[in-house]
Amino acid sequence: MNEIFTKSMARNIFYGGSLFFILVFLGLTFHTEKTLPERDHRENITEEVVLGKLVWEENNCIGCHTLLGEGAYFAPELGNVYKRFGNSKEAIKGFIQSRPKEGIPGRRSMPQFDLSDEELDAIAEFLKWTSEINTNDWPPNIQG
Amino acid sequence: MPNTSSVAAENPMTKLPGDLAMWVIILAELSVFAILFLVFAVQFSLNEELFKQGQALLDTRAGLIITLALLSASYFVAQAVAFFERNQPKYFALFLLAACASALVYVVVKLAEYNHLVEAGFGLSGNKFFTYYFLITGFHLLHVLLGMGILIFVLFKRRHIGLHGLNTAASYWHMVDLVWLVLFPILYLL
Amino acid sequence: MKFESQSVAKPYFIAAIGLFVGQILFGVILGLQYVMGDFLFPEIPFNVARMVHTNLLIVWLLFGFMGSAYYLIPEESETELHSPKLALLLFWVFLVAGALTIVGYLSVPYATLAKITGNDLLPTMGREFLEMPTITKVGVVIVALGFLYNLGMTFLKGRKTVISSVLMLGLIGLAVMFLFSFYNPENLVRDKFYWWWVVHLWVEGVWELIMGALLAFVLIKTTGVDREVIEKWLYLIIAMALITGIIGTGHHYFWIGTPEYWLVLGSVFSALEPVPFFMMTLFAFNMVNKRRRDHPNKVAVLWAMGTGVMAFLGAGVWGFMHTLSPINYVTHGTQLTAAHGHMAFYGAYVMVVLCMISYTMPLMRGRAAANSNLSQVVEMWSFWLMTVSMVFITLFLTAAGIVQSYLQRMGDSPLPFMVVQEKIEIFYWMREVAGLVFLIGLVVYIVSFFVKGEEATV
Repeated sequence: MNEIFTKSMARNIFYGGSLFFILVFLGLTFHTEKTLPERDHRENITEEVVLGKLVWEENNCIGCHTLLGEGAYFAPELGNVYKRFGNSKEAIKGFIQSRPKEGIPGRRSMPQFDLSDEELDAIAEFLKWTSEINTNDWPPNIQG
Repeated sequence: MPNTSSVAAENPMTKLPGDLAMWVIILAELSVFAILFLVFAVQFSLNEELFKQGQALLDTRAGLIITLALLSASYFVAQAVAFFERNQPKYFALFLLAACASALVYVVVKLAEYNHLVEAGFGLSGNKFFTYYFLITGFHLLHVLLGMGILIFVLFKRRHIGLHGLNTAASYWHMVDLVWLVLFPILYLL
Repeated sequence: MKFESQSVAKPYFIAAIGLFVGQILFGVILGLQYVMGDFLFPEIPFNVARMVHTNLLIVWLLFGFMGSAYYLIPEESETELHSPKLALLLFWVFLVAGALTIVGYLSVPYATLAKITGNDLLPTMGREFLEMPTITKVGVVIVALGFLYNLGMTFLKGRKTVISSVLMLGLIGLAVMFLFSFYNPENLVRDKFYWWWVVHLWVEGVWELIMGALLAFVLIKTTGVDREVIEKWLYLIIAMALITGIIGTGHHYFWIGTPEYWLVLGSVFSALEPVPFFMMTLFAFNMVNKRRRDHPNKVAVLWAMGTGVMAFLGAGVWGFMHTLSPINYVTHGTQLTAAHGHMAFYGAYVMVVLCMISYTMPLMRGRAAANSNLSQVVEMWSFWLMTVSMVFITLFLTAAGIVQSYLQRMGDSPLPFMVVQEKIEIFYWMREVAGLVFLIGLVVYIVSFFVKGEEATV
């Protein structure tokens, strides 16, 4: 019987199409990796910034906040908080340090993480570095 | 081999040369390219100065050579199909080879164009016009390479490909050519 | 049920539903915290409740996929499962590991959990959806390997169908992409780039293969439509899924520091990602229309058609709404994202698992084909309660997201985040009410398992 649209043709489209696009995607990944150094200021990823990212992760900041728009939507975007706080690492540290342990009654509250001075410095440095990434002009304004 | 199924004979879809699945692909491909051209047109009107400057740097002569190469390739493919129908395997194979050779001209000239532009400092990033240029022509180039692969596959299969299979491959090739015929004026000339 | 060993699916499904209940309880808690900010603070801060909610979702869906595979593969392969004992062992390992992880989240501060589980040796914690300790991740890999081995041996031993092949491919893809959760670069941009290889290539990639295969299986069994037709559609659906979804990953690469060409590529290809979901809806409705039999399990058919529609709406339409980069610029990371996420996950993956459970459970509990009429009616009530309430959750969050985008991201004097949150509170209250209705629907769903009666015939 002369089938006009065979199952094996559909199968070939699946395997062929998927392989084609996997290869294209890998090619684009390779190109992106090559271009990233111009955009991410990785020369500024110091030991302190690395520690800051670890502090960010181990306290699960992403569980309430967004970073470059990704994360939870309970608390403000922090990708540009360095700029929003007047380009001040001290302001960031001060905010984190001053969170009351029992929270603020009736309001969304941020936990007190009891971070050490080293950890506070690190996370502020991490957020400063993050604010300098070339994100194609995102977020649209200072509010994040 | 004539189609003996009466249901299929009534179905207008059987009048299309080649497998219906290929026509679904062709439709999908044309849709993607249409979207790309549309987005390009919108970006052109939003960045006229930049885009006109970029266009001026393109090699129109190279574009013409490519157009001729692809049109020739399509002609050779159509002839190959005719020879297959008339059961002349030698000419069938010869014209398929000629099509591949023409397509190769396209590839060489295109890569030379890219090389020239990259040496002048343009790439996927940095200049909006060239981002679109490289993305759209690059995507098309990949399709030409796939088309060449399909033609070579047909060459290896020789008469075992069957007219249905051959028409399927030919339809794909003509689609790739058609896309270039729209791409060239939009990107290079307008 | 053609083979005894298919019954290992039962514990997996029971665990899945139990964890689903846990997920929704925490969902209700989160919804309340949105409007009563200090609810359960500081014992269960928002971020802890959230990781419990999202991790339970993922784990119960995995239990659902595993149970479905243990049922489907032996039947398609026409041979007994290679090792039912291994399947049961892995069940307990996975369940205990998962339970311990949830207990860990709730009982100690996250930073402490990181310390005691040795996160410093290989830091993989603290990223969204991948909050589980590194050692738990290793446990998941071991369970996945055992699972794939067990099914692989069964698959290789027997008849290979398109449905079983596509399911195996999807499950292998799931396991392989999960390995990227171990890769956590120090560079945040690269961290995010590869994080999406797990998340996007899961839910907008290999999970669609799994969903397609499960849907095809249920449709073949309940409609009697020719396998050749269904399998051809399945190939086309998954072809479109990967053809659009792989480069479509680029719609997560707009604002994270990656080059500008992703703005174009991501928009164009992801704009077409609704296509496979549209095809699945056509597929389901078409097959049911062309059916050659009226299967007694009507509610399973309802789940199948509902999955197509809700997946298309939630993943396809709501996804399309914010996938184009100029729009996404303004809506990125707002309640619109949450709206899409909820309906997409529910429509595509929750519903397809519930569809499989609906079809297989009666058979595993000794029925010839389906539950009693009364039981099916109760289950249909749960279908409508959960589905309609989910639509409302989505609509309310969409409204919240649009107002949020307008007030916080547009205009000359954008308002601060917390100010905007207060202004959209009304939508959060409405969402919470809808969420409670969803919970009721889930309770009704569980009740349906205990409703007795004469087996339904056509």
